[in-house]
Amino acid sequence: MSNLFLINVLLAFAWCAVTGSFSILNLMFGFVVSSGALWLTREQHQTNKYFKRVWLVLGLIGLFLKELVLSVFRVAWLVVRPRQSYRPSFVSFPLTVDRPHEITLLANLITLTPGTLSVDISDDAATLYIHCIDVEDPDKLREDIAQGFERKIMEALR
Amino acid sequence: MINYITGALLIIGALFNLIAAIGLLRFPDVFTRMHAASKAGTLGSGLMLVAIALHAGELSISSKALAAVVFFLITAPVSAHLLARAAYVAGVEPWKGTVLDQLKGHYTDKEGHLSADDETSD
Amino acid sequence: MSESDFFDLSIIIAFWLMIAASLLTFARLVLGPTLPDRVLSLDMLMTLAIGFIAIFTLLTGVYAYLDMAIALGLVGFLATIAFARFILNQASCPEIIDETKDYKQTAKDAGSSE
Repeated sequence: MSNLFLINVLLAFAWCAVTGSFSILNLMFGFVVSSGALWLTREQHQTNKYFKRVWLVLGLIGLFLKELVLSVFRVAWLVVRPRQSYRPSFVSFPLTVDRPHEITLLANLITLTPGTLSVDISDDAATLYIHCIDVEDPDKLREDIAQGFERKIMEALR
Repeated sequence: MINYITGALLIIGALFNLIAAIGLLRFPDVFTRMHAASKAGTLGSGLMLVAIALHAGELSISSKALAAVVFFLITAPVSAHLLARAAYVAGVEPWKGTVLDQLKGHYTDKEGHLSADDETSD
Repeated sequence: MSESDFFDLSIIIAFWLMIAASLLTFARLVLGPTLPDRVLSLDMLMTLAIGFIAIFTLLTGVYAYLDMAIALGLVGFLATIAFARFILNQASCPEIIDETKDYKQTAKDAGSSE
């Protein structure tokens, strides 16, 4: 998988060398062209994961942007509504992902999504502690994160 | 046309920043305030940088502005997390209306070492 | 209203909204009551400064200010991290973290010594 990415970058540089222009735009265009070339020869590679993964990562970015905008509107509503009542709480979340970069990504995504903020992780990296601004049912929140971001991250990065 | 879009993005971004500031003033404790600052504030200034990226119409400037947006989206949760953790370890008490605190009692010392959670079911 | 009129007006409106936001953030900086609250409002002021730079870039059309926004973001991030480390190191001295605690403590001390 990382080999294919390396080949892709090398082909992009080759494109720049052939066309004689090393501008960013040309480099990006070369990257697109060479990934197209790799896609055409996909039968010859051992794995088809590289192209699937591109879509999964793009889907993760899309989900993240959507949740960020939703989260801002939710916090905005909490701020401007006249009656102030929240049920803030610290909730523990048992992690399924175990690799450091996946945990980092998950924690950052949780912080930028509706009403949740990751506070700390236990020393054995098995439990994430989350602060929620307004939570009705902690179990439902755990379920949402496990089925939403955690599953998407596992799909995109494994 | 592009002027309308950038103008609207500027106003929306400034509104989000204002909401974040109101939240900073209105919310009851440091943890809830962090929600307002880390989300609404980041998106507010981020939208303004996106407005620059659209208005410039030049790839070198747009890419710089978008790189700045990505940079803020990466750093804002990290600083919010560090600050929340430091506040909790330092003994800043959560608001009295906090309904559930599963973090309580899990810190083994003042350095911020955190033991694993045994009873997640309750 | 023409396009450029709308653009100029939106810059002015955004400026006023941002000024209101900075005043409110500054109020939180003064009110406290704990050190993390103040650090948080400093962080927020940094975010607001980046917004101001963005508006100013669009007002003047000098895109070199954008570099300043990126640099400010970096420095502000490092400053917040440094403050968080500081708070963590001062965890054993509650009078630095929380002013209100300090007043109660000194009042109690004064009461007990009398």
